[in-house]
Amino acid sequence: MRADKPIVIVISGEKYFLSENGLTKRLNEAIYSNKTTIEDIIFRASECSIYSVNEQIKKGFIMTKGGIRIGIAGNLIEEKGVIKTMTNFSSINIRIPHEIKNCSLKAFNSIYYNETIQNSLIIAPPGGGKTTFLRDFICQLSERNLAYNVLVLDERGELDTGKPNSLGNFTDIISFSRKIIGFENGIRALSPDLIVTDELSEKDDVDAIMYAVNCGVKIIASIHASGIDDFANKENAKRLIQEQVFKRYVVLSNREGPGTLEGIYNEKLSRSQLVY
Amino acid sequence: MKWILMVILFAGCLLVGYLYSNKYKKRVDFFNSLIYFAQKLDVEINFSRERLKKLVEDFDEKAKSNLQGIDISFLKYLNEGGDLTAESLFRNKGLIKKEEKEVVTMFFKNLGRSDVENQTKEIKNSIERFEKLQNDALMEYKKFGKLGIKLGIIAGLALVIILI
Repeated sequence: MRADKPIVIVISGEKYFLSENGLTKRLNEAIYSNKTTIEDIIFRASECSIYSVNEQIKKGFIMTKGGIRIGIAGNLIEEKGVIKTMTNFSSINIRIPHEIKNCSLKAFNSIYYNETIQNSLIIAPPGGGKTTFLRDFICQLSERNLAYNVLVLDERGELDTGKPNSLGNFTDIISFSRKIIGFENGIRALSPDLIVTDELSEKDDVDAIMYAVNCGVKIIASIHASGIDDFANKENAKRLIQEQVFKRYVVLSNREGPGTLEGIYNEKLSRSQLVY
Repeated sequence: MKWILMVILFAGCLLVGYLYSNKYKKRVDFFNSLIYFAQKLDVEINFSRERLKKLVEDFDEKAKSNLQGIDISFLKYLNEGGDLTAESLFRNKGLIKKEEKEVVTMFFKNLGRSDVENQTKEIKNSIERFEKLQNDALMEYKKFGKLGIKLGIIAGLALVIILI
């Protein structure tokens, strides 16, 4: 939703306008949103308490119950190089999570290999199905009674949809924490066998991964990239590749809809028959 | 019979005087509780950052009873949405003057709409405004409130004397 622009709805990668009669492709039937509506949605999404979600707003989103993420655009207020808040909201992007049962199955046997979990990184562009994949993988572990103590480090509150048992029976969840802090606390307090986390982006995140691996905890994480080459060119990826932290790289795309499996690579970034 | 009538007339006059006086006292109590409520919000928003709805619900029951039901109207607005106006907040209660209602409504309208720093600044500004209204209400109470009871007693006595 953008101020004074038609409301756009994206379903399975296909774009529609919202009209009074539902979805339409015709611009002249589209309903337009305005600034007041956008501000009201943000106000309501914060449970009428914007001050309580300011840390999220500073990062450009609000999480609501059920793992719905509302991305926000507006004026960022900066003071002495530090972002203080965002005002004058002009657009929002509401992402409604959904489960796709068994979407991780094609890669399951590569990640759970030789009766152990291989450290794995899920690579996909935005909206490519990384989070849905991670969520389903955790459920698959639980359904197979592979009683791993799973720690979900849900930095943006997207993995946990809030539905009962949506992350299986052996999962502890730490939400809205930076990875480096969440990993340290979680490993110390919860004795996880496996940590699952979303969207590696900063150097700190790589440090957190290295810390967990050195503690002997398995890792499954995700990262934004359009493919294996794009990933390999990222500054933060170099250390991970060099030290062969991840044994599996699962590449997803939107080619045939979100979650299309493009390939599974080993620690040397090559496809082997053993893997896929 | 005559004595009973005199007692009833005297009590009636006293009651009218008391009700008149109580109106001014309620106004003072209203602003006292409103200031207490705003101060509580200021502290809680700064430290616990608890959601507004919970803060309103958990506010001291005794102080709440002086708020003329605006806490209930505000909770309704938080739960159900819609516009927050002086009419919807005060539900036509005449105790508070029109311009005072506008100040109070503006305070509630701005709650939850900004980050901690700006929110607490707004609350502090509102508290200053409420304190001014509270002072005015107190002056009125001193001036007219106590006068009401005195007039009630004098009127009652006058009627009793006339009847005697």
